[in-house]
Amino acid sequence: MSFDEFQNRARLYVIGALEPEETGEFEEARKNFGQQAEDFIVECYNLHEAFALSLRPEKSSEALKDRLMSMVRQRQAK
Amino acid sequence: MDEPAAPHYNTYLSAMDPIETEGVPDLNGAPAPRMPASAPELEPGAPTDLELMQAIQAEDPEALSKLYDRYNGILKALILRVIHNEAEADDLLQEIFMEIWNQAKNFSAQKGKPLGWMVTLARRRAIDGLRKKQAYARAGERLQSETEQQPDAWVHNATEEEITFSDTRILVRRVIDTLPPAQQQAINLAFFRGMSQREIAAKTNTPLGTVKTRLELGLKKIYDGLKELKDEL
Repeated sequence: MSFDEFQNRARLYVIGALEPEETGEFEEARKNFGQQAEDFIVECYNLHEAFALSLRPEKSSEALKDRLMSMVRQRQAK
Repeated sequence: MDEPAAPHYNTYLSAMDPIETEGVPDLNGAPAPRMPASAPELEPGAPTDLELMQAIQAEDPEALSKLYDRYNGILKALILRVIHNEAEADDLLQEIFMEIWNQAKNFSAQKGKPLGWMVTLARRRAIDGLRKKQAYARAGERLQSETEQQPDAWVHNATEEEITFSDTRILVRRVIDTLPPAQQQAINLAFFRGMSQREIAAKTNTPLGTVKTRLELGLKKIYDGLKELKDEL
């Protein structure tokens, strides 16, 4: 697999869209390309951020935050 | 090579696909427009996301509170995009921020940015939630029904957070909107529904190889758009 092909697969990989039969070949190429492959995969995760930032934020209730912070403080107190 | 954004692509788009396709220009071969490589700049003196994550790793609840204020709206929008249910989205959002608190020690800045880590975590939980729901209902009917009931989850009052992120959202949307509708649809189904290539092919009556090509081309264009801006900064 060329590095260009690996890049295409890596972008599918980070969104969980690699088919099972593609996974083995991808993992093998990932090992072969080493750190270069790992660095590229980290870069690909920027796609997640971009997709989230493409959405209009939705309002959550203050009560939800209060519950969350209460749970966190209870967890800390244990 | 890009696929043409021919009108017939719109026939592939189901009612559940909330990505807007009207007026999408045919930009075959056109470079992706600029888009931000990260969240917008913060107010002067405000802690960065990384500083907040480091404080959460040191078990500072105030840091989690600030991170919640900064990103709860974006994460909730992501969850809603997947599961289309307000009450379940709130429950999941709370669980996700608890997981952020509990799993913060596993965050590593070498492996990416805090927002990317949180989005990855939130998406996984939301898709898990969706799959659990689908276990109790026939997936197709359920998704179709929910979308018809809530076709526009984007209508709401503007919040401070929304205003802060609006420029970023517009830029990101701009690059996504340049993709041919069929590519948008494939990415939407893969990212926001957690569908495999085969599931997308079945849902859209499209050959598997075509689905793969659409995903690869669309993701590459978005990736290149991100990278282009990052390289210029």
